[in-house]
Amino acid sequence: MKRYDLIVIGGGPAGLSAATEAAKHGLHPVVFDENARPGGQLFKQIHKFFGSKEHKAKIRGFQIGEELLEEAEKYGVEVCLNAAVIGLYPEKEVTVRIGEEVKHVKGDAVLVATGASENMVTFPGWTLPGVIGAGAAQTMMNLHHVKAGEKILMLGSGNVGLVVSFQLMQAGCEVVALVDAAKRVGGYGVHAAKVARLGVPFYLSHTIVEAEGSDCVTGVTIAQVDEKFQFIEGTKKHFDVDTICMAVGLSPMSQLLMQAGCKMEDTPGGCVPVCDASGATSVPGIYAAGDVSGIEEASSAMIEGRISGAVIAEYLGYITEEGKKARERELEEALEALRKGMFAPENRGKLLEKTEEGIDISMNLLEKGYVAEDEIERYPGVTHMAGVHPVMECTQNIPCNPCQDACAKGCISIGKNITSLPVVVPGAECIGCGMCVASCSGQAIFLVDEESEPGYGTVTLPYEFLPLPEAGEKGIALGRDGTKVCDCEVVSCKSAKAFDHTNLLTIKVPADMTMKARFYKKGAKFCQA
Amino acid sequence: MVDIQEKLKEIGPFVPGAEDDLLICRCEEVTKGEIRKAVHEGIFTVEEMRRYLRNGMGLCQGQTCGRLVKGIMARELKVRPAEIEPATARAPMRPIEMRILAEDGGDRE
Amino acid sequence: MEKRIMRHPILGDSPERKFVKFTYDGKTLEGYEGEPVAAALRAAGVMTHRYTAKKHEPRGVFCAIGRCTDCVMVVNGKPNVRTCITPLEEGMTVQTQYGASYEGGTTDEAI
Repeated sequence: MKRYDLIVIGGGPAGLSAATEAAKHGLHPVVFDENARPGGQLFKQIHKFFGSKEHKAKIRGFQIGEELLEEAEKYGVEVCLNAAVIGLYPEKEVTVRIGEEVKHVKGDAVLVATGASENMVTFPGWTLPGVIGAGAAQTMMNLHHVKAGEKILMLGSGNVGLVVSFQLMQAGCEVVALVDAAKRVGGYGVHAAKVARLGVPFYLSHTIVEAEGSDCVTGVTIAQVDEKFQFIEGTKKHFDVDTICMAVGLSPMSQLLMQAGCKMEDTPGGCVPVCDASGATSVPGIYAAGDVSGIEEASSAMIEGRISGAVIAEYLGYITEEGKKARERELEEALEALRKGMFAPENRGKLLEKTEEGIDISMNLLEKGYVAEDEIERYPGVTHMAGVHPVMECTQNIPCNPCQDACAKGCISIGKNITSLPVVVPGAECIGCGMCVASCSGQAIFLVDEESEPGYGTVTLPYEFLPLPEAGEKGIALGRDGTKVCDCEVVSCKSAKAFDHTNLLTIKVPADMTMKARFYKKGAKFCQA
Repeated sequence: MVDIQEKLKEIGPFVPGAEDDLLICRCEEVTKGEIRKAVHEGIFTVEEMRRYLRNGMGLCQGQTCGRLVKGIMARELKVRPAEIEPATARAPMRPIEMRILAEDGGDRE
Repeated sequence: MEKRIMRHPILGDSPERKFVKFTYDGKTLEGYEGEPVAAALRAAGVMTHRYTAKKHEPRGVFCAIGRCTDCVMVVNGKPNVRTCITPLEEGMTVQTQYGASYEGGTTDEAI
């Protein structure tokens, strides 16, 4: 039987990171992945990631995936594709189907990084063709370049539902509504705001009554639910759609760990192995990292993987205990930074009413997906001054700080605590370069000139859609809620390599609209006001 | 060990519900009503349910319905889903043709 | 309506790939070589991949990553093939699956 020092099951962000870290310390790990391509779900993520530099913030998911693969190759990690692990035994024996054969291999250590599977909710018609998981939509459009549907209803307002809704619009699909049975938006406010300003209506406290159609989806009916999630009479709404997308959470795929006899724990977030901070399970030599040990973001999965990799290197005698501890400390600090803020694990399910700075959190954002006009002025990133200046509509404490580094002129400050809201530094001079706009993973920064000429001002906004508007083009400016606020004219649309596909669109609007106009649509036919 | 008769008395008789026709296990086409009814016939663990109704025994091996089945059983038994004994995890964990599995000679090399 | 995304604001132009012909229930369709059979079918507007054994209900792509097995079809005569992770090849025969076989086929043949 072939023997490896480390067998990694799953070649996603956690598995690849763990194997690479272990290989750096001298191990010769093998990674088994059942898919034809490695990288797990990273290659479907086309948005810029959050965090700080060490977390690869403002880099798009698929680019992080490419970097990870390059690094794994550089350190000689063996990645075995189309290799479906079908069994894991306590003696650290792994059975893996490769081609037409089941192979038995043994590891001195085994790391399970099998990730998660999508949760589903049931309603009449949920098995019809056209009802798909949000992951399926991403796979179809971002990997295979095929639209997931033409008219789509999204169920779920967590980060997956919000991010995928935006990506659907980028792919040219129409999202008719974003629906969630919960009372409040579950994901980052900035992700919600991005979708809301495109004109997608949010229906919180609503869920699907039924999907219609005989051979495939032709429509959907939703209705409002009460505190006990029962439908409220007379609140039904119908939409003509061909696709219903479900983004209602993920569950760890921990069956292999259970089979190996690891002590398991049934939590509201799914069945997870009982493990320590390094991912060591109750079975010596078997580790778990990433979503399989508890659902989080890909950014944290990568760090968890690296911690496990270092710990396994020490377990097998490749590095000293001191070496391991130093590396662990460094990585754990990075991980802790990601686990802070409003969406930290300890805040799950809680309604926070104030930011860390003591500012009231926007309830409109939580209930409708956008910050209301009478709420926006209270945040420290939103200030007024003569000339062009950044307006940062960043209103929740999330771990992210690329904007601070993006400004060469020092106009933006977040400070050491990366969850703090960005502050406009008094006295610093904005030169209107727009690097902050392009750097903001939440697309929450705008450059505003409140009066560039008598009676008119300009707004520069992040624009990631095609076709790109041309200078002189006439259109309408949309507010944060996605409805028309005024007519406008395109001043310029700048693309640069440094912006990484976030184009900077500058529109000219009446001076009193500069704090209202936040998106652009060509022509007037999309007018909803 | 749960006293089945006691528990059955506690949860009361099976009452048909509006959603009983809803498919839960997409592979083996098991409905919510069938699962609910089975609970009242004394099936209290996911493992027993799988053997009784074949839910989660199809091609996908319960990847999609596992959590849903647990939720339905928990509501019927008036307990939290975490209190329902999960199904055993056993190989093969992924779909594989019997022909290939049968060829598996184990630790031969 | 065009179902393929030819130009994408982030991903750029759809990669140049070779078109191949395959048959779907006897009809000749075209798709890109190496893309999943399911992607080629969706681009051609095919939503229903199979009808279930018990209730004869239509099913199509659901998870698109080979997990849920709802998109299985009879491919080159072999049933239960997960079309979402099976690369398209020139000349493939793809058939709607009824229960565990193609239409008119028997379960014995399927096994």
